[in-house]
Amino acid sequence: MQRATHTSLYYCSNIVSPTMIRQCLTCRVPVQLSSRAYSVVPPPRDSEEKAMLDRILRVDHAGEYGANRIYAGQMAVLGRSRTGPLIQEMWDQEKKHLAKFNEILAESRVRPTALLPFWNIAGFVLGASSALLGKEGAMACTVAVEESISEHYNSQIRALMEKDPERYTELLQVIKEFRDDEMEHHDTGLEHDAESVPGYWLLKSAIQLGCKAAIYASERV
Amino acid sequence: MAALLRGLRAGRALRGLGSVVAAPTATNSQCSSLRRGFQCAAARLQDDGKSDKPPSSSSTTYHEHYQAHSAKQGTAAASQEDSASDPADEASRPNTSYQDQGGEQGEEYETEEQLQARILTAALEFVPQHGWSMEAIASGAETLGLSSASAGMFNNGAGDLVLHFIAQCNSQLVEILAEQHKQVQLGQAERKKTADFLRDAVETRLRMHIPYIESWPQAMSILLLPHNIPDSLKHLSTLVDDMWYYAGDRSTDMNWYTKRAALTGIYNTTELVMVQDSSPDFQDTWNFLDNRIQDVVKMGTTAKQVQSTGEAVVQGLMGAAVTLKNLTGMNQRR
Repeated sequence: MQRATHTSLYYCSNIVSPTMIRQCLTCRVPVQLSSRAYSVVPPPRDSEEKAMLDRILRVDHAGEYGANRIYAGQMAVLGRSRTGPLIQEMWDQEKKHLAKFNEILAESRVRPTALLPFWNIAGFVLGASSALLGKEGAMACTVAVEESISEHYNSQIRALMEKDPERYTELLQVIKEFRDDEMEHHDTGLEHDAESVPGYWLLKSAIQLGCKAAIYASERV
Repeated sequence: MAALLRGLRAGRALRGLGSVVAAPTATNSQCSSLRRGFQCAAARLQDDGKSDKPPSSSSTTYHEHYQAHSAKQGTAAASQEDSASDPADEASRPNTSYQDQGGEQGEEYETEEQLQARILTAALEFVPQHGWSMEAIASGAETLGLSSASAGMFNNGAGDLVLHFIAQCNSQLVEILAEQHKQVQLGQAERKKTADFLRDAVETRLRMHIPYIESWPQAMSILLLPHNIPDSLKHLSTLVDDMWYYAGDRSTDMNWYTKRAALTGIYNTTELVMVQDSSPDFQDTWNFLDNRIQDVVKMGTTAKQVQSTGEAVVQGLMGAAVTLKNLTGMNQRR
């Protein structure tokens, strides 16, 4: 009895099954796309919206993946030091973020960025090399990266709010929550003497420039 | 009698025009819609001109033509008349049934795209005879009651026809896969293994080419023309993405790319084998497909083995590094 209601509910929530109405502008036969019950991202109404959502989700996924690798690099060097537990805690939060975005990407059938192997290596190298400058270097790197990411999330929130805040409520909620976590990491980094590393401004600017380039690339590739 | 019918049609056209003009929706393509209106009305006029009719009703159609030409949305009513009254409607129902989702102004309004889709669908039955060409499109237009000159609205003639056929096959496949997916979710069918699922999906999709297999090499070469390549690649990539999605792939890393690349390779090579296969029911092709899929599965397991070996090696190296650090005294808590 329970199983019957469960399957019927499941059936209802996937009623037309994962088939979406994809109104391709050049092809004359509209392909059926998904009208699934969504949890975070609404099914896009046209190809323009799909492209916009794809871009947003792809770059966010790439960002969380990169942040993961940066913390992994930092842990590889500073894992056994006093700041190890702190970095581990921040890393665990990033892992949660990445898991959430993996779920969203799979659900919305978004193509992940092709530059993932590159961000894998680049992130790890950045984390490890900043950690080699000591605990302050690692914290400075954290501050720079988290500031970049927060700014990026804020501009996404602005863009979505401008378009249609009600339609994107859940997605906005997720992004806002993640942005708050990143701001927390940023503040933690500042608390732990990030600014006392020699060449702080140079380091910070260089890392933020790199982050901007990474965001630009991952939105498109 | 014929004059009476003409009069009735004129009345319906005028009512249709009235409803359309009363709710004007500015489109970006007003100039082209004027041109389309002219083409459609000209097509109708030519068509009307072929049948016998008394002079009085010719002035009625001329009046209709004038109306269609002057009203910006006149195309709609003119083509709507043809669509409403021609028997090919049932055959093209899969395309026009999307009318209510296309955002038209009224229930009977047909967009240019839908009209083109109907013509191309009708043209498909002439492909065995004329190949993938403008003749087939012209013959298709004639079966819908339009003049063969309306094939002129396809700038990319044969390419349009092939792309339309491919898009149609892809959407049929997606419907089939979605239906199977639903069956599995309802518990009415067993979930297939990935290799079997992909084999069945590729076989189903390639079997749609069988009625046109004689002329398929021509179609493939049309798709390779530079101006058709972007569209054909897009169709291929969405096809492969759909197949993997329904096979259950939810990967979000480089696997996404490698899986799709592998399936694209399998699909393309199997298609090539199929066009020169002369065995009964293309049995050789399906055997080839089986073998390629097994290859990919084997490659997948080999890749996993390589990865686990690699991980073991890395762990060994890390162990050696830690030992070295211990020996040199570097590994102390700071």
